[in-house]
Amino acid sequence: MNPLTETNSPMAGHLPKPEALEGQYAQRLTAHLSSGAQALPHDITERLRFSRERALASRRTAVALATAPAVVHAGRAAALGGPPALWLRLASALPLVVLVAGLVFIQHHHDLQQIEVAAEIDSALLADDLPPAAYGDPGFSEFLRNGDAL
Amino acid sequence: MASDKELSDCLKSVEKRAFKRTVYAVRDEDAALDIVQDAMIRLAEKYADRPAAELPLLFQRILSNATMDWFRRQKVRNAVLQNMSDFDADGSGDDFDLLESLETADGMLGAESAAETVSRSQILLLIEGQIGELPARQREAFLLRYWEELDTAETAAVMGCSEGSVKTHCSRAVHALAKALRSKGIVP
Repeated sequence: MNPLTETNSPMAGHLPKPEALEGQYAQRLTAHLSSGAQALPHDITERLRFSRERALASRRTAVALATAPAVVHAGRAAALGGPPALWLRLASALPLVVLVAGLVFIQHHHDLQQIEVAAEIDSALLADDLPPAAYGDPGFSEFLRNGDAL
Repeated sequence: MASDKELSDCLKSVEKRAFKRTVYAVRDEDAALDIVQDAMIRLAEKYADRPAAELPLLFQRILSNATMDWFRRQKVRNAVLQNMSDFDADGSGDDFDLLESLETADGMLGAESAAETVSRSQILLLIEGQIGELPARQREAFLLRYWEELDTAETAAVMGCSEGSVKTHCSRAVHALAKALRSKGIVP
């Protein structure tokens, strides 16, 4: 016979609910468990303390990593005082301008050298005893190919 | 966001019960310490932005998951299937009279309490032994509901089941414990 469900029991009208009885009984058991948990060996409590401190340290690391980009960003803004000024933009483009100017100068210098070499050849031909029109003569060309001039 | 002190206080308040609860589940103190540490670090790293009030429940959920992870790793390591009958509901002991046990404990029926003849530490060992013998889900529900003092909804959230299942697990656990302890002459 289970008094929790028996309605003919003399205590039927005053019976507590089954859940309340279970809770009451469970509280007695857990009171024992709590007393046992408070009496853990020293090495166990020390390892738990170490675990707790390690968790806190890892949390500080995680928080530091999460906030690091914001700090760098703030530092940059503070250093430049807001958007870059016009002269800073121009100054940042200066190396590129110098590079382009250098390339143009080198190209121009190279062209001048080629012109000078061509002029020297032309002047040498014109100053030679042999007239330039001789190089257009087929007989003279054949003479040069056969090496008869040597 | 909880401060370092709030997190530390939270962990300090639950760490001993968490350790014992894990020992009941895995039956290995070293493994239990590792699991608790793992749960603490997970809570601290991944939920650092949560308010302090949410931390205890989060920790319980993380601890349960970490314990399950440990069992999964053990299962893989040993290549042995876990006895799933451990998760099955056992008999609820309908013929057992819980009220009688409570009345005996209160001395209402005049029976002599076993606590008078057995030392407190021995009683504790017997209780812990019987809790360790409970099916895993019943033990988890019992400890969360009555030791961690979570309400039914919170316990269900941690265990990932319905509130009705929590009530069933708790009821069966209490009846099983009462019946087993009474058979050994222990009335807490």
